[in-house]
Amino acid sequence: MITLNINKKTFNVDVDPETPLLWVLRDTIGLVGTKYGCGMAQCGACVVHLNGEAVRSCVTKVSRAAGQKVVTIEGLSEKNDHPLQKAWIELDVPQCGYCQSGQIMSAAVLIRENKNPTEKDIDAAMNGNICRCGTYLRIRKAIQLAAEIQRKG
Amino acid sequence: MKQHTERYLLPVKTISVLAVILSVIVFMSFSFKNETTISSLKSDTINKDSIESVKAFMDVYKVLMSPRCMNCHPSGDVPLQGDDSHIHTMLPQRGKDGKGIYAMKCMNCHQPTNLEGLNKPPGNPNWHLPPSNMKMVFEGRTPNQLAKQIINPKTNGNKTLQQLIEHADDGLVKAGWDMGEGRTAPPLSHEEFKKAWITWIKTGAYAPKQ
Amino acid sequence: MTQQKTSINRRSFLRSSALAGGGLMISFSALAEFKLDDKVNKLDLPDQWYELTGYIKITPDNIIKIFNPNPEFGQNVMTSLPMIVAEELEADWKQVVVEMGQHDSVKLGPQFTGGSNSMRMYWKPLREAGAAARNMLMEAAAQTWSVPVEEVTTKAGMLYHEKSGKSGTYGSFASKAASIPIPKGMKFKEPKNFNIVRNSKKNVEGLKIVTGKPLFGLDYKVEGMLIAMIEHPPAFGMKLKSFDASETLKMPGIKDVFSQKLYEDGFEQGGFDTRSFNDLLVVVGKTTWEVMNARKKLKVQWELAGDTKNTMSGKREFIVPGELESTSTQLEKMKEYAKKPAQQLRKDGDPETAFKNAAQVIERTYNAPFLAHNCLEPMNFFAHVTDEKALVAGPLQAPGWSEPTLSKLLNLPADKIEIQMTRMGGGFGLRAYGHYIYEAALISKKVKAPVKLVYSREDDMTYGIYRPMYTATYRAALDANKNLIAFHVKGGGIPENAVHANRFPAGAIDNYLAEGWQIPSNITIGAFRAPRSNFAAAAEQSFLDELAEAMGKDPIDFRLELLKRAKENPVGKSNDYNADRYAEVLKLVKEKSGWNNPENKKYSRGVAAYFCHNSYAAHVVDLVMRDGQPYVERVFSAIDCGIVINPDAATNMVQGAVVDGIGNALYGGLTHKDGAAEQNNFHRYRIIRMHEAPKKIEVHFVQNDIDPTGLGEPPFPPVFGAVANALYKNTGNRFYEQPYILQLNKTSRA
Repeated sequence: MITLNINKKTFNVDVDPETPLLWVLRDTIGLVGTKYGCGMAQCGACVVHLNGEAVRSCVTKVSRAAGQKVVTIEGLSEKNDHPLQKAWIELDVPQCGYCQSGQIMSAAVLIRENKNPTEKDIDAAMNGNICRCGTYLRIRKAIQLAAEIQRKG
Repeated sequence: MKQHTERYLLPVKTISVLAVILSVIVFMSFSFKNETTISSLKSDTINKDSIESVKAFMDVYKVLMSPRCMNCHPSGDVPLQGDDSHIHTMLPQRGKDGKGIYAMKCMNCHQPTNLEGLNKPPGNPNWHLPPSNMKMVFEGRTPNQLAKQIINPKTNGNKTLQQLIEHADDGLVKAGWDMGEGRTAPPLSHEEFKKAWITWIKTGAYAPKQ
Repeated sequence: MTQQKTSINRRSFLRSSALAGGGLMISFSALAEFKLDDKVNKLDLPDQWYELTGYIKITPDNIIKIFNPNPEFGQNVMTSLPMIVAEELEADWKQVVVEMGQHDSVKLGPQFTGGSNSMRMYWKPLREAGAAARNMLMEAAAQTWSVPVEEVTTKAGMLYHEKSGKSGTYGSFASKAASIPIPKGMKFKEPKNFNIVRNSKKNVEGLKIVTGKPLFGLDYKVEGMLIAMIEHPPAFGMKLKSFDASETLKMPGIKDVFSQKLYEDGFEQGGFDTRSFNDLLVVVGKTTWEVMNARKKLKVQWELAGDTKNTMSGKREFIVPGELESTSTQLEKMKEYAKKPAQQLRKDGDPETAFKNAAQVIERTYNAPFLAHNCLEPMNFFAHVTDEKALVAGPLQAPGWSEPTLSKLLNLPADKIEIQMTRMGGGFGLRAYGHYIYEAALISKKVKAPVKLVYSREDDMTYGIYRPMYTATYRAALDANKNLIAFHVKGGGIPENAVHANRFPAGAIDNYLAEGWQIPSNITIGAFRAPRSNFAAAAEQSFLDELAEAMGKDPIDFRLELLKRAKENPVGKSNDYNADRYAEVLKLVKEKSGWNNPENKKYSRGVAAYFCHNSYAAHVVDLVMRDGQPYVERVFSAIDCGIVINPDAATNMVQGAVVDGIGNALYGGLTHKDGAAEQNNFHRYRIIRMHEAPKKIEVHFVQNDIDPTGLGEPPFPPVFGAVANALYKNTGNRFYEQPYILQLNKTSRA
C-alpha cells in the first residue's frame, strides 16, 4: 500500500511501486486530466507537480511520489481561477486541448519562479511540451498574460 | 556544435560521471589561466613520470570525451545527447546550479534510477550539469586543455589532488558505466578508467603537449 | 430543410414528448465519468426540454441547448457550428449551452469531420434549423398574443410585439412552439445583420480543457471496464505465426491473451476500413500499465505475410504485395517508375512540340516521405458489445462510415449500434479510418465485457495509416523571350500520386500536360491534413518560385500574371479554382506582409499560395538562420474561406496550420527498414516545439459574403512551399527533399 497526497487529499493505493505515477492517477485514482502522450518524457502531456516541480508522471515511479506532495491539473486551483487558466480562456488557447493540462502545469512552475517571463524564458520552460495543433503562439501570449494577472494579484 | 543532424538520431544519453563528481564540489569561479601547473597542487605524488602520466591521461581523455561524459560538459548551456552528441532534444538549459530551470529541471525527467526499456531517460539521484559559474567544459577541449582544467582548483571546483583521486570511486562515477539499456559505455571499463585516472595523478598529473 | 427531414424531426419530437415529464434531457448516462458543462450546472440544469428541431432544445427558463453534430478534433466545431444555429435562431449566446450530439444521421446529418467540410456541409442545414425554430417560436407567440405572426419580432432570445408592447422569452413559448409544425422555405438573415456569426466566441469547452475534465476517448471509463492492447507485427509485410502467452498470463492484472482476426477472408471493406494488420494478438487486463508491462512477456513468432488480397466493396479485389519495404529501395523504385510512361490526366494544346521547340527547359524533381499523424492522444476506443447491442465511444471523425462495417462485423442491425463521439486529441485525417473501433468492438465481443482499446505511442506511430510517399517531376518550357510556353507535371507515389490535374497553373498555360503513376505497397496510407495537396503545394509552389526567378520575375507578380491569363482567357474547361479569389489572397498577402518594403530585407522571405478544399490561402514566411538552424520568425497569411464564422478561433486554426506546416516541412518524416518503421516515438520523430514556432503569425481574411468553406486544411499545404522558398533565399540552395532539415544539414556539412 502506497500513501499519496494528491491535490491535498490522501489516497492509499495498492499498486506495484514501479507503476508510473501517470497510470496510478488515471487508472487507479481516476484523475484523467493528466494525459498520456509518449510514455518516455518526450511530450510533456503528463506533467504534474511533485513537491512543486514539473515532473513527467509517465516516467516517475509512484514510489518516488509516496508521501510527497502531488498536484495535478485538477488541483491547480480551487475555483478554476489560476491565472494561467484565466489567461488560457481569455486568449482561447486550445485547439484539440489534449496537451493543454501539461502545458499549464509546466507554465505554472515558470510563472511561480519568474514573475515576468520573456519569450526566451518561455521557450526555455516550455520546449518539453509538444502541442501537435500548433498553439504555441497563444501559449506564449497566455503565459505572459497570466504573469500579468499574477503580478496584479 | 552539432545540431539535430539526422532527425533525432539517438536516445537520450547520458552524463559524465566525472562531470558529476567535479561539478558537485564547485563553488567559485576564477578565470582560467593557461600557465597553471601541477606545482600549484599540494601533491602526494609518489613517482613523477611525465611519459607514464601523459599516457595514462590519454586513456582518461578517451573516457571524458566519450559521449557518456562529454554530453553533460557541453560548450554551450544545453547538454548533448546520443553517440553523435547532438544537442539535447527540447533544449533543457543549464541554469545557475546546473540542475535546469523552471519546468525543465533535469530531475523532472531523469529519475533517481534508470528505467526499463530503450531510450528512456537515464537515471541518477544527482543528475545535473556543471553549474553556470564553473562550467567545466569538455566539448572541444584538447588533451592539454582538459588536463590543465581538471587539475586546476580554480577550474575544477577547488578540488585537491587527493579529493580528485577519491572521486574515482564515487557512486556517481560508477553509475556512468550503467546508464540504462542500449547506451554505449565509455571506451574503458570503470576499473581501467580508475587505474588510468590514479596513475595520471600519482605520476605527476602531467598535461599532454597537444 | 427537406420534407423528409422535417417529418422525421417531427417524429423524433413526438417520441421525445411521450417521454416528457421524465424530461427530454439527453444525458451521457453511459459516460459515467463525464460531467455536463459547468455553465449548465451553474444554471441548475432543468429537466424539461422542448425540442424545436433535431438540433435545438429549449427549457421554460430560456436555456437553449444546441447539439453540435460534427466530431470535434480541435477545429472548434463545438462552438462554431452552434453559432450558426444561434444566429438564425436569434438566440442570446449567453443562454446557449452546447452538447455533442450522438451519432444520429437522421437527426443530425452526415456527422463527418474531414475534408474541411464541416462549414460547407452544415451551413445551410444549421441555418434552416435555427430559422425554423425561430419561426415556430414566433408562431407560438402570435397565437398566444392573438396577433399576426408578421408583427412578431425577435432579438437575443426574446419575442416582441411592438404595437401591444407584449414580450416574452423564447423559453416561455418553447412548450407551445414545440407543437407547431416545422416550417419550410424560411428566409435567412442577411450577412450584414449577423450578430453572432462573424463575432468571436470563446471555445465552449475551454473551461473543461484547462481544468482537466474528462473529455477525450482515453478518459472514458465505465464500471468493470477492461483495458486491451494489441501486439502487432514488427514490420509491414509480416503476420502472426504463433505465440506463447504463458508468462504474460502470470503477470498481475492480466485477464486474457488471444488472437483475433480483424476481417474474415473476402470481407468487403469500405473505403475507410483500411487495415494495417489482420491477425491481432490481443492482451486484456485490468489497467493500462499492467497490460503494457505484460505485453513485454509475450513470446511471439512472426512470419512473412506474402502477397495478400483485399476485397473492397463491390467485391473489387486487389493484391497487397508482401515485400518488406525499405525507404532506400522505395526511392530507387520511384526513380525507375518516373521514367516509365504514365497515365495521362490532362492535356492542353501540344506540350510535346512546345518542349521540343523551347529555348530553355527547366526540370526539377521533388520528394517527400511518409508522414505519421502523431495525434497527441494515441488511438483508442471504448466498446461494450453484447449479443443484442453494441455501444462504442471514443475519438473518431466519421461515425457514419464506421457504422455499416460495425454492423457487418458484429452481425447487429445498425439501430442496435450506438456510437458516441468524444472530443479527439487531434485527428488530422487518421481518425476517419475505423480499424481501431472495429478492433475494440471485436475484443469486447470476445471477452464479453466493456473494453477500452489503447494504443501506445509506439503502436500509434508504427501501426499507422500514413501520408503516402510522393514524388513529382515538374518541367517548364520557355521561349527565347523567357515566356512560359509549356508546363508538365508527372507525379507518382507509394501507393498513389498527388497530381491535381485541373488545379492551377492548369488553365493558365496553353500547352499543359499532367500525368500520374503509382506503386502498390503494403504500408497503409490514408488522409493526412489536406491529402495530396500537402505535397502538391510544396512541389508546385517551389517550382513556380524557381521558374519566376528564371524568367526574371517577382514570384507574386508571376503568379498574378498566370492567374490573369486563367481568368481572362482560360485554357480548358475543368479548372477547379476561381482565378479571382486565388489572385485576391496573393494581393492581400503582398500588401499585409509589406512584400516590397526594404525593411523586411533582414528576413529571408518566401511566398506560396494554394487552393484546396474550396478555400484559398497564401503565406509569406520570414526566415532567419541561427546557429545553422532555420527559424521562421514571422508569417503573414491571407485566407479566403468565405464568411468567417468565429474569427478568433479561425485565426487560431490558421496559426496552427502554419506551425504544423513548418514542423512537417522541416522535420517530418517516417522511414522504413525491411518493413519496420524507423521512428517509433517522439525521440526519433521530430515534432516542432515552442522555440521553433514563429513569434508572430498574422492572419488576414478576405472579407466577402460567400458561403463559408473549409479552413482546417487549406492553410496547411502552401506553408511547405513558402518555407522552401525562404530557405532558398537564405542558403542559395533550392530544397527538393522533405524534410528540409536533412537537406540543410547535408549541404551545411558539405
